[in-house]
Amino acid sequence: MLVFLARRFAFFVLALVVSSVLIFSLIRIAGGNVAAVMLGKGASPQAIDELMAELGLDRPLPVQYFDWVAGMLRGDLGTSFRTGEPVTDLLVDRLPVSVPLALAGLALALLVAVPVGTYAATKAGTPTGAFVATLSQVGIAIPVFWAGVLLSLFFGVKLGWLPTGGWTPWTVSVTGAIRSLVLPMVALGMVMAATLTRYTRTAVLDVMNEDYVRTARASGMTKRAALFRVGVRNASLPLVTVVGLLAAELIGGTVIIEEVFSLPGLARMILSAVSAREVIVVQSTVMVIVAFVLVVNLVVDILYGVLDPRVRVTR
Amino acid sequence: MSDTTMAPGALPADGVPRRRRRWNASLLVGMVMTGAFLAIALLSLVWTPADPNQVAPRDRLLPAGSAGHLLGTDALGRDVASALMAGAWTSIVVAAGAALIALVLGTISGLAATSNRQYVNETVMRGADILLSMPGVVFALVLAATIGAGVGATIFALSVFFTPSFTRVVRAAALRVLEEDFVTAAALYGRRRLFILARHVVPNIFSVMIVQFTLYFAVGILTEAGLSYLGVGVTRPEVSWGILLKEAQETVGVASPLAIWPGLAIVFAVLGLNILGDGLRDVLDPRLRRRKS
Repeated sequence: MLVFLARRFAFFVLALVVSSVLIFSLIRIAGGNVAAVMLGKGASPQAIDELMAELGLDRPLPVQYFDWVAGMLRGDLGTSFRTGEPVTDLLVDRLPVSVPLALAGLALALLVAVPVGTYAATKAGTPTGAFVATLSQVGIAIPVFWAGVLLSLFFGVKLGWLPTGGWTPWTVSVTGAIRSLVLPMVALGMVMAATLTRYTRTAVLDVMNEDYVRTARASGMTKRAALFRVGVRNASLPLVTVVGLLAAELIGGTVIIEEVFSLPGLARMILSAVSAREVIVVQSTVMVIVAFVLVVNLVVDILYGVLDPRVRVTR
Repeated sequence: MSDTTMAPGALPADGVPRRRRRWNASLLVGMVMTGAFLAIALLSLVWTPADPNQVAPRDRLLPAGSAGHLLGTDALGRDVASALMAGAWTSIVVAAGAALIALVLGTISGLAATSNRQYVNETVMRGADILLSMPGVVFALVLAATIGAGVGATIFALSVFFTPSFTRVVRAAALRVLEEDFVTAAALYGRRRLFILARHVVPNIFSVMIVQFTLYFAVGILTEAGLSYLGVGVTRPEVSWGILLKEAQETVGVASPLAIWPGLAIVFAVLGLNILGDGLRDVLDPRLRRRKS
């Protein structure tokens, strides 16, 4: 177990390093001349050079990279060129929108997908099972932003129950904030639930055909008892992996759905920072997101090792 | 066998041909839907009812069924049906293009990762793991914003994030084939590794590659539409279903049929490809258990 943990952690650190280099080089090399963009057309080359020096962008790239990484390790994500605000503060402003949205979406997806997928697996080969499978097939084909549009059309415009967009901060009104999050959360959750239902169904079907479930049945357990006592722990393995992989997809979905409902979350922040060439803001925000996904994957893999002793040996 | 009296080509007594099933409902439905999607996209290259970028201020927001505008016009008087047709072609170029690049890169790297040299395997597979754990949309967003939005940039961004899945699938399938006796025989015969991979492994994993391509074609359509919706994918004058939805939402609000059509088009295309992928999987490789109904 210790060897497994050490190997897994080493990979985590490696992934962090590789992705930070990737993000840095992508943004710095492909991003064009930051100062020229900030000063606009017609700026003299001298003014551009001065601004570059002032922002510290004239230093060699490796120096800038290590400076950035060292800052992050101390918890300093850098400051915005334009407003001088620390990136950490900007993030703290945005996270109360994005984090509850993403987590609630994921929770909803799991709450729907695990029971429905299990049910569909036990009903495989019947019209009910086929109906659920078809439903999830259609759900997978629905783009998350269109689901958002349809929901706000129905619940926002037709029924007028919930806002079609915009944001009420938590500090102003807690119910207002929750009301602004309901539709985006449902859109995100339902679309992810479709994918997850399919995975759950496959995982449970696989397990139901295993010898140990047959043995459990032969030893006198009912189908249900065999499924829940023996099957669930085994079926949870592939599911845990999928949740890890979905973390990346969850963030993508959150970014898009925030745009649909004009929520001032991370997506808005990255989009506007990108167009204003706020390289430090973009770099650090993207790095925080990637680090989050990597942490989720680390936790998932460790869970996997705990649930299944075989994994510890083979990896 | 009493069957010898049967006329040549006739079915056996139970009416089921004694060979592998070549057709199934998924394959048929998927082919019809995908065929319609491809046909409309190809048609848009030579003919659309109107120029999808032709602005006509006097014909603003005509309802569906108006003369000359089957699905009406948008806030600038552009023909909706034409835009949807042009959007179908954009979807294909971007999504199929990205899936094709990922197929080639994923096959090369996946086969490389079956090498006997452990460090090659580890490098390729850990690299794939790292790429897989990055949120593709966020990266594509940054990429598109730095190297500029457009068809090329979108294809590039998507293919980078599709490749690791292809690598994994190709490697897993190739490893299964490499354990077969005919591979051992070829190796004992003195065949070089590259020859074995090209001659024995690739033809045997081709069905897996096709299915994977179909499924990522569908994912590509969804992602392209999402990026274009965010304004960092395809941009005008190119037409994308994502752009159409964004424009509809911004100019007339969600309560407009303009916001419905592009979404329906996306669902139709993606659903068709996914069903086709399932059908193909059943027909091409019966050993692979299907993951759907």
